[in-house]
Amino acid sequence: MTTRRLLSVIPIGLVAVFLVLPFFNSLATFFSLSTTREVLSDSSMIGIVWFSLWQSVLSVVATMTIAFPATWALSRFQFPGAKLCRGLLTTPFVLPSIVVAAGVLAITHHTGVISILWAHVVFNVAVVLRVVGTRWMLLHPKYEESSATLGASPLQAFIHIVWPNIRAATFSAAALIFAYCFTSFGVISIVGGFSRRTIETEIFTQSVRLGNTDVAISLAIIQMIVVLFVFNISSPSARQTSTTSIIATPAALNVKAQGRWIVLVSVFIPVLVVILPLVATLMRSFSYRGRISLQAWKMVLSGTLPQLTVSTWKVVGTSLIFSLATAFLAVSLALIASQQMGSQHFHYSEQHRILRFITSLPLFVSAATLGLGLVITFNTDPFAWRSQTWLIPVIHAVIALPVAIRILEPAVLAIPVSLRDNAATLGASPWQTWLHVDFALLRPALLRGIGMCAAISLGEFGATSFLTRSDSTTMTMAISQLLGRPGAVTQQSGYVLASLLIVLTVGITSRA
Amino acid sequence: MKRLFVLVSAVAALASCTSATTAPVQENPKTLTLLAYDAFTPEPGIFKTFTNETGIDVKVVTSGDSGVLISKAILTAGKPEGDVLWGIDNTMLSRAQQASLLTSYEPVDIGDICVNADKDWFAGRKIPVPARLEDLVLPQYRHLLVTQDPVASSPGLGFLLGTIAHFGEGKWQKYWSALKNNGAHIAPDWTTAYTVDFSGSSGNGKYPLVVSYGSSPPAEVLYADPSTPITEPTTSVIESTCFRQTEYVGVMRGSAHATASQLLISYLLGKKFQESMPLSLFVFPVNPNAKLPDLFIKFAVRAKTPLTISPQDIEKNRENWLKEWRALLL
Repeated sequence: MTTRRLLSVIPIGLVAVFLVLPFFNSLATFFSLSTTREVLSDSSMIGIVWFSLWQSVLSVVATMTIAFPATWALSRFQFPGAKLCRGLLTTPFVLPSIVVAAGVLAITHHTGVISILWAHVVFNVAVVLRVVGTRWMLLHPKYEESSATLGASPLQAFIHIVWPNIRAATFSAAALIFAYCFTSFGVISIVGGFSRRTIETEIFTQSVRLGNTDVAISLAIIQMIVVLFVFNISSPSARQTSTTSIIATPAALNVKAQGRWIVLVSVFIPVLVVILPLVATLMRSFSYRGRISLQAWKMVLSGTLPQLTVSTWKVVGTSLIFSLATAFLAVSLALIASQQMGSQHFHYSEQHRILRFITSLPLFVSAATLGLGLVITFNTDPFAWRSQTWLIPVIHAVIALPVAIRILEPAVLAIPVSLRDNAATLGASPWQTWLHVDFALLRPALLRGIGMCAAISLGEFGATSFLTRSDSTTMTMAISQLLGRPGAVTQQSGYVLASLLIVLTVGITSRA
Repeated sequence: MKRLFVLVSAVAALASCTSATTAPVQENPKTLTLLAYDAFTPEPGIFKTFTNETGIDVKVVTSGDSGVLISKAILTAGKPEGDVLWGIDNTMLSRAQQASLLTSYEPVDIGDICVNADKDWFAGRKIPVPARLEDLVLPQYRHLLVTQDPVASSPGLGFLLGTIAHFGEGKWQKYWSALKNNGAHIAPDWTTAYTVDFSGSSGNGKYPLVVSYGSSPPAEVLYADPSTPITEPTTSVIESTCFRQTEYVGVMRGSAHATASQLLISYLLGKKFQESMPLSLFVFPVNPNAKLPDLFIKFAVRAKTPLTISPQDIEKNRENWLKEWRALLL
């Protein structure tokens, strides 16, 4: 019990040091009450807040509409290509926004709200699939089958059996997507065009481009309050769903003829929505001034990135090391936190609430503000860490933590206490119990968490772009460098590297 | 009492002793750190000569785009992440001076932000390439220009400043209204403008005129498909639209190696490094003795009479100009 308590200090500690401290340090350093008053009475600023709000609500609705049928189909049925579809749907979550955004623009040809919504859907389908899907797979289909035998329609079965079990996960996914879209930076700044600004893009503009850190901080506070509010109203305790205590077996079925087309369409449409922008990227990697050319592929695969001073393998290696380190750290922390929050003795205690709150904080904090905070906090000995390479995966892990917890916690809660008790009664040591009960049942969720966190690290381009690097260019950075220079083959190479990143990610996520 | 005094003076002596041993600036560091933006890609191995001459290694560290680099350097002025800073330009210089970011600085390279044209597009339609800023608002050039959001993009800002320099305070607004009415497209950044909207490079965009650099055409030749090399760029530069961008290099306040940093700056301004810049960084040298590569002599443009605004005027007016620009274009 005491070791368990002690363990919970680790995730809290890391978030406190690498997120809360730098964020509040920038608040304390740059906050000004009079500026905040000015911001709140400036109609163009209010317009920005209002736009951030409605575009993210629309993004959540659009994402749910597209993603829910696919989540149902992929959680309930197994068919050839199901794993690949899962990988394809999850991939964009990790791609640099510049790639998805350029892909969307290549199809829509217009900046504006439609492009924003499309790009946000592309990014966030993965969240529904991972967060809701993980919970859905834990619900044994025999309950739906027996209700069907008793005469319930599929809709009734859904309302009375499935929905109560996935409701918390659905709300949690919706809140997560809201937070991502509300604080969206890369997508908005590219496909939004210059006329569409959100709070986060304005924070960046004010702090980095105009040097008005006080205005940026006021906006960061407004942003945090809105996201906190949404999370408060949208997350009924995850606990209420676990009372059904269902045997956790991932369900896999072979589809019978008549339902087959429904299942396939449910997956096919979302896959199409998601991969079109990626296909546009692949096509650009093969096209040179209107004709097909493989030269850029040859060049990149032979190790050369035109105009850059690093090799292909070096940037791929750096990305892989960062993402593995991030995944290992974030999933370990999430496991500790989830087991704490799932433990019987921990239920409604104050610590439970604190742990949940602290580990959700990375979702509320503006990336640009965190980036500035890191810079002004870790610049004095003995904490002059701002130029340390290890700081990058640590920050990535802190950013990935809320997602990892949302993937692991439902799985932890679904482990019936009776199994552990039985194991203990039969003479298993606590370690044996953990290994053979908890770990065995958590394996799918753990793998999923690892895939997702590795992916977050591969694509992260916010807070850590404020850190100083020496020789640690990642794929994401190299892509934006290549696309950011004149020279047709240089840009084509950027699309080649982006295609490699897509392939790599589909590989990771369709396995996990 | 006396013992206390002895103790205190001993501590004081010890303190002064330790500060005396750390105070003299270490004049021959093993390594100097050069802090630059992500796009700083010098010729590989270019610092070997400097290391051989001085025994000092040069470690290049990078940190975001130039905006991020300068903002964070200003926020932590006096506690620098490097000894020498590369990449403040004339639009940021004044802000850096106000924060006393650098103890000394000098221009290290120049480049022009200019309208580039897709040569084939104009040749194919037998329309002359526009020659002046005024031409861009003619009906003939309707829906042909893509530029960037000056709030987010440094070429976008350069182009806006160029129009302000050319038309003058109080008159540039009318020009921009005319540009807007003539269908000028505003892209969010250089990458989108040049690779998605522009027709003349890798993309298949709709716009044959783009705001880019005077040095973009040689890059198109050097980084064309190696299986079908070209000897002439596909793009050209409209010289009268060029706004001069000057980049500076300087010693960061708080660096413990000021003297050695000066050595590095002399090296950066020396002939060898300056001659390596055109084809690695695509900028022009400031050293008059540095020879230009053929590709630059033939195809890059360094305007004879570039448009300019002083760093002080830019700093003083930037925010208002950007506000006015947004109000006009939204």
